[in-house]
Amino acid sequence: MTVALESWKALGTSVHVLATQADGLGPATSAVSEVLADVDTAYSRFRGDSELSRLNANPGRSVRVSPLLATAIDAAQRAARLTDGAVDPTIGQAIRVAGYDDDFSRVAAQAGPLNLRAWRVPGWQAIRFDRRARTVLLPAGVELDLGSTGKALAADLAARAALAAAGGGGVLVSLGGDIAMAGTPPSGGWRIHIAEDSRVSPDADGEVICLPSGGVATSSTMVRRWTRGAAVLHHIIDPQTSLPATGPFRTVTVAAATCLDANIASTAAIVRGAGAIDWLLSWRLPARLVENDGTIHYIGRWPDPSGVAA
Amino acid sequence: MDSLTPTQRDRGLERLRRLTFGATAGALVAVVGVGYVAAASYAGTSSANASATAAETTTTTTTTTDSSSSSTSSSNSLQPSTQAPTTGSSGSGTVTSGGS
Repeated sequence: MTVALESWKALGTSVHVLATQADGLGPATSAVSEVLADVDTAYSRFRGDSELSRLNANPGRSVRVSPLLATAIDAAQRAARLTDGAVDPTIGQAIRVAGYDDDFSRVAAQAGPLNLRAWRVPGWQAIRFDRRARTVLLPAGVELDLGSTGKALAADLAARAALAAAGGGGVLVSLGGDIAMAGTPPSGGWRIHIAEDSRVSPDADGEVICLPSGGVATSSTMVRRWTRGAAVLHHIIDPQTSLPATGPFRTVTVAAATCLDANIASTAAIVRGAGAIDWLLSWRLPARLVENDGTIHYIGRWPDPSGVAA
Repeated sequence: MDSLTPTQRDRGLERLRRLTFGATAGALVAVVGVGYVAAASYAGTSSANASATAAETTTTTTTTTDSSSSSTSSSNSLQPSTQAPTTGSSGSGTVTSGGS
């Protein structure tokens, strides 16, 4: 089956929309664009006029937020709760102090040394969030960063919007390698090339899996890396130390019912380090983990190309 | 053996009736009391079962954004996909999942 594809850049990353019905691609693309524009306005950390930036700039005050930002904060708190704080939205200050305080193209260009120290982030419990009233109060010293869950949530929202706009068939939305599927898949499922960097061509040599639905996400310390002085830093922050995670796994890919759940699990696995495999098994999530030395582990129902499951 | 007068027999029957009533009432009080103490001491497992069921239940919240109506998982667990991934010998529309 031939599927139609449209690609562009948004949210500082690549966007791919695939549709099984060619005449549905245009409406699906428009719907995804609208969702991403709303996401950018609601919780971009790099836009001074975003809702999230205004919220972070007003500690100690109860702020009523939009339904979309409330959904994103709710998702981030759920992620923190389900990972025992391994994926925590209160890393805003930590990631800013680590040098990721601007669009990444400008972050990578800076080279001056940083004076980093280990400290524990405030923790998601510090956020006073009333889901029903959609009000948020951040105590002084608490800054939110929804990067760990926000992009995956956006992929799920975009896929559902795309399917509704397409009027049937099946759609796949990829936001920088965070993938969400909706509707009726093509025969045999959607083909997904697994890599450490989402910029790798889907036609390159490597492992390919097929899935009919749900989501796939990859977290990796091999991308969005920058050097400050002698220190090589990356974007996955360990809330226990406020520093980039230093566990044994450099890349983790997870398949789940939603892209959000897949991303929560893949990010938590990087942060949890040595305990990641048992933790993923406890959730019965198929996963592929790459150790820092390149050794690959296939967990649960993830297909092992060699035919021998880990 | 002396025979009882009618008055003596009535007194005996009355005493027997009071004893029967007292024994029945005492037994009833004892059953209720023991039951109360037992219920207070062993609360049972109904609340635990309810929690376990709730933890496995997936709920869906619907949120209207400025551009679309969408829903996200809000379950109390990370949800596996309904079907496991397979090796990519078939299928269509390849994209790359990787870090970004």
